[in-house]
Amino acid sequence: MTTTSERSRGPASSLLAGKAVGSSSGGPGSGEGQGSAGGWGSGGAGWEGSPPASRQRWWRFEQMLPRGLTVAVWIPLLAIVLLVVVLVVKAVPAIRFNGLHFFTSDAWSTGNAFGSVVTTGGVRHFVGASYGVLPLVVGTLISSAIAIALAVPIGVATALVIVEKLPMRVSSGVGFCLEVLAGVPSAVYGIWGVLTFGPWLAHHIDGPIARNMPDVPVLRWFRGAGPHNVVGQGHDLLTGGLILTVMILPIIAATTRDLLRQVPRATVEGATALGLTDAEAVNTVTLRWVRSGIIGASMLGLGRALGETIMVAMVGGALLGSSPHSIFSAFNTIAAAIVTQLEAALSDPTGLQVGTLAEIALVLLVISLAANVIARWLVQRGVGTALPVGRGI
Amino acid sequence: MTEGGDFSGASRREPVSLKASSEVGVSGELSANAATGRAPSAVLACPTLMAREVSVGFGSKTVVSNVNLEFHPGTITALIGPTGCGKTTLLRSINRMNDKVRGYWRKGSIELEGTEVSEAHMDPLVLRRRVGMVFQRPNPFPMSIRDNVVVGVKVHRMAPRHELPAVAERVLKHVGLWAAVADRMSDSPFRLSGGQQQLLCLARALAVEPDVLLLDEPTSSLDPQTTEIVEDLLRELAPRLTMIIVTHNLAQARRVSHNTAFLYNGLLVEAGDTKQIFEAPNEPETVSYVSGRIG
Repeated sequence: MTTTSERSRGPASSLLAGKAVGSSSGGPGSGEGQGSAGGWGSGGAGWEGSPPASRQRWWRFEQMLPRGLTVAVWIPLLAIVLLVVVLVVKAVPAIRFNGLHFFTSDAWSTGNAFGSVVTTGGVRHFVGASYGVLPLVVGTLISSAIAIALAVPIGVATALVIVEKLPMRVSSGVGFCLEVLAGVPSAVYGIWGVLTFGPWLAHHIDGPIARNMPDVPVLRWFRGAGPHNVVGQGHDLLTGGLILTVMILPIIAATTRDLLRQVPRATVEGATALGLTDAEAVNTVTLRWVRSGIIGASMLGLGRALGETIMVAMVGGALLGSSPHSIFSAFNTIAAAIVTQLEAALSDPTGLQVGTLAEIALVLLVISLAANVIARWLVQRGVGTALPVGRGI
Repeated sequence: MTEGGDFSGASRREPVSLKASSEVGVSGELSANAATGRAPSAVLACPTLMAREVSVGFGSKTVVSNVNLEFHPGTITALIGPTGCGKTTLLRSINRMNDKVRGYWRKGSIELEGTEVSEAHMDPLVLRRRVGMVFQRPNPFPMSIRDNVVVGVKVHRMAPRHELPAVAERVLKHVGLWAAVADRMSDSPFRLSGGQQQLLCLARALAVEPDVLLLDEPTSSLDPQTTEIVEDLLRELAPRLTMIIVTHNLAQARRVSHNTAFLYNGLLVEAGDTKQIFEAPNEPETVSYVSGRIG
């Protein structure tokens, strides 16, 4: 109550303060004093006489600041525009050569690098060159889907346990572990996946699953290859997806934890006082309160999963030219393909390979953008129905 | 005549019996009985809530000590006293909202219709359905207005799903909010005004048909007009409920309550008929507090 009345009294008193400044210092300072008090709205200081010169200098500097900051605002916009323009310019020959077939084809063939260079539709290329982005899109989407499907429930559960159940000392320890986990470089995850985690999965977990899955539409994805259900060495979608889960888990868990700490105690108590169990209170109040935030955090995680490069390049089995057909298949993602193919592409005198890499980079950009748009839509929908006005990402 | 009220309180010095009749009134015979006798409750309606020698605290700190109070059906009891005297702690002990607070302990007994509220077979979920609570600030849930009202009905399975909209309408009409929200039942409650939000919270508490309603400074965040609406509503609800209202607003205690209990430094100084407490208090502390000299 007091704060409100003080706030509402703010402008009036500061105007008075401005006048006081003007009359006491007189002369040139008076205009400045009035202007500053009206704009700044902080009453009080003016009553004592004019503010010290150092404060007035600061004030003039602050007035200039927004103009300087406007430049900073343009930097991200310029960056994204330049990025897209450069990618499109580089990709144009590949887009013309690959056509729409690019999105349905499994092929990844540079053609005969020792043969002659021919020109089709104005684009120079080796004989037999043929590219398709489908396996990369499938690998990217499925590995990210595995990661999101596992990391969101685990991350939210982790955050709930940290905030609601664990004593303060333990929870800060767990929180520290989460932050450390978020800081592990992806190459470290990669080497662990290739040397330890993947083979361990292949030897102990994959076999029983692969052998026992029935050969029906969706579950077929959990069967091994061929009549003997071969599962390989663990350089596959499952390993990649699981490591991605661990990689994005800290983002989701830590963000959700911070959001949960902001849920007003009184609202949760209201649920308890109504006779709801703890689980019902979490479900009806806590999770709804943070829902849009969790969606935002999940999309941050998804963004990282979609763009993850080195780890996938290491554990994915570097599959090119065919789509994965089960979670025990080797796979490749767009980001990993760009980094593994770049060196070969740069030595291609026709430039078609580099163009194709630019084209798949555009595809990845579109996928990430689509994920962001969907996330925004989900968040807005959440705000519209129930969340307090002005909340959400 | 179950709406008659007798009200007993005890001070820290000597257990005293205080007679208090609600506005509904009790017969002269019962009043006389209560005024003279030490155990009038045998003849009167059984109290909904009875606190006997209740002491409450956290860890080594005692917040409330040795409080004896009875709350009869159909009465509104105001708990008054300066900040930090233990009103809210006492109130929250009734529906066991303090259970999860670290170091919380309680001695003595609080009985809801003869059953100790912390007894094993008194499930806290059932207790809290029967003893509703309205908080200091409106605390609507982040769901639609309709869901806010019926969430308790839903979890306690008090009505089939298809009847929930009707339940919501009935309760909102009851608290006088229906006209304002009828066409936006699916909207967020956070767009309502503070007063409307508080009425919504009241509707939410009433929807599960409680026997007792605990009000923890329910109007402290509301403007005078809305406060009046809430007070009128409380008076209107009174005959069917047992209400306990914690308030810092002495005028409010005077306006809405039948009985008043004055707590000071964790002790129940005086309790009795509201009129008597405000006009002819027995204890010097009460005199000072109601006249505004302490507090």
